[in-house]
Amino acid sequence: MVKIFIDEKSFEVEDGITVFKAAKEAGIAIPHLCYHDAFPPEGSCRMCLVEIEGLPKLELACSTQVRDGMKVFTKSERVVEARKGVLEFLLAEHPLDCPICDKAGDCKLQDYYETYGLFESQFREVKEKREKKAKIGKNLIHDEERCIICKRCVRFLKEVTHTQELGIFERGIHTSVNIYELLPVDNNYSGNLAQICPVGAITDTDFRFKTRSWLLKKGKSICPLCSRGCNISIEYHPGFPHFQVPKKVFRIYSLENPDVNGFWICDLGRYGYSYIDENRLDRIMIKKEEQKIEPTWEQSLQFIAEKIKGLNFLKKTSQIALVLNTWLSNEELFLIHKIFKSDLNVESIFFADRPQSEGDDILLTPERSPNRRGAQEMGLSIQPVKLETLATKTRLLLVFGSSIQDQFSSSDIKKVLDKIETKILFASHSNDLISFFDIVLPTALIAEKGGSLTNVEGRIQKFSPVFEPSGDSLPEWMMLADLGREFGINPSFYEQLKTPEAISIETEKEIPFFREKK
Amino acid sequence: MIKALGYFIEIIRGIVITSRHFFVNFFFRILNVLGIKTKRKGAVTIQYPEQRKEIATRHRSLHRLMAREDGKPRCVACMLCATVCPSECIYVEAAEDPELEMQKYPSKFIIDIGRCCFCGFCVEACPEDAIRMDTGKIELAGYSRDDLVYDLDKLLK
Repeated sequence: MVKIFIDEKSFEVEDGITVFKAAKEAGIAIPHLCYHDAFPPEGSCRMCLVEIEGLPKLELACSTQVRDGMKVFTKSERVVEARKGVLEFLLAEHPLDCPICDKAGDCKLQDYYETYGLFESQFREVKEKREKKAKIGKNLIHDEERCIICKRCVRFLKEVTHTQELGIFERGIHTSVNIYELLPVDNNYSGNLAQICPVGAITDTDFRFKTRSWLLKKGKSICPLCSRGCNISIEYHPGFPHFQVPKKVFRIYSLENPDVNGFWICDLGRYGYSYIDENRLDRIMIKKEEQKIEPTWEQSLQFIAEKIKGLNFLKKTSQIALVLNTWLSNEELFLIHKIFKSDLNVESIFFADRPQSEGDDILLTPERSPNRRGAQEMGLSIQPVKLETLATKTRLLLVFGSSIQDQFSSSDIKKVLDKIETKILFASHSNDLISFFDIVLPTALIAEKGGSLTNVEGRIQKFSPVFEPSGDSLPEWMMLADLGREFGINPSFYEQLKTPEAISIETEKEIPFFREKK
Repeated sequence: MIKALGYFIEIIRGIVITSRHFFVNFFFRILNVLGIKTKRKGAVTIQYPEQRKEIATRHRSLHRLMAREDGKPRCVACMLCATVCPSECIYVEAAEDPELEMQKYPSKFIIDIGRCCFCGFCVEACPEDAIRMDTGKIELAGYSRDDLVYDLDKLLK
């Protein structure tokens, strides 16, 4: 540990770290453009200049190591003047097209000009014209005019994906970032380039010109598209009610979590958000023959609970079958385990998930669902659906999710379902299956409910709802807790389960894995 | 009783004031009509709509979108007007233009005049001077609410 002084306050910091990191730990922000925590210092933007006592010139905070007794000034007159100078040079060739730049609002250069610049430009020369929309990758557009040559993109492709599609060409004022010989940036992590670009030089076609960043609301969540459990920020527009424009998710950004995903997410998770808004089920649907019940959750709940009660009374709970999926959270899987396995001794519990696909050695895992590990640790054996078994002895079938249609053809499923007396589907999206079921209950997505997921490494991560569920959708844990209470084997136990946290506490009590991981 | 008398006196005072204005205005108006110039104009009423007052240059009337030389809107769909609008009556949807110079343009630009409070913030916020409130149109009534929703074509005229 060494003692350093930043702005005349003393701090104890670790030996060997840089002034920038020491200041960050001390809560003092030093402006920076090229520096990124994921990479070693580059020192090309010159924004992080600080004054150090005893040194004749200003030094770069990002690449200067701390010494014992070092006195650093981050707000002295010389530093403020130097920052202005650096900004003036950076803006000399930077086009002022903030109104049409997608980075506006998130742009560091814009923020620093507001905070440290605010000068009148002294440059009378015309800014140089350059390529404004070079397509450098399947989702990326590069604007050479806006680029400040911080090299974050080049370093990302060199150090994280090891693909090195981008390079620096020419020298001096002609320096530019570009691809080699028309070989585009084509890897599963290219979307990160648009996120780490400190200005709007690299923008992604998916978000390009769609909306403005300050109109978006943000919410922390977990990516459910593979079992890695990357931390994400879902950025959505709440909608313009006066113009009948509904809520819409516009982009997914990665959040920093060094234990899970570092700083990055893959393109599958970044661009695969359309499922949140498209084709959603938002009304409870009931088949015409069942005239007795109204399409409300209370009525449907009564109906399902009566059926289960009846079968339980006749000691025929073996005629209940469940088809689950591993998009269900730990809490929901626990409730299913508790209600159907412990209370009712149901044996036919199957899993239907999206088919596995290719993973990679950075983040993406082969599973295409977020909680397979959670289901395993819960003590539910992940056995695939056997249609023949379902067809023979089932009278009540509860299906969660629509993934059985990925494995079997609709006609096969219909044939089997026609033989079953009562079929209930809990699904978030509308599809061919819904017409085969007696009751279809809309469910909330991961982004719309609270709970926790267990990722492929066995790490339990909590998440909270980002926005309200669409229409009449309810989170599955709520429906399951209601169901548990309604058919009355142990109502007082289910009575207290009003929040995912309460269920989580019960899970920890009963399942050792979740207790140890706490 | 005394209170009621007080009201009565006030009513009479009111009638006196009103009739004084009426007769004084009447007198000067007659002088004006006869061609005798006086300092006072008499009747202040304008025979709207046949006769109209000149609108001040800073008056904020119905919006219009400015067009470029080739007829396309000047607007680059930066959505600053929609952001600043306090009554949330502007809706802009952007699209990409294949032309290199102006890449972003509004594919939809809707102002709901029925909600607009004519504060003029959109004009102030616009970085391209694309929206102005200088048409001088102040009669904006319509037979339905939909008549008051102005789209890109209507605003560009």
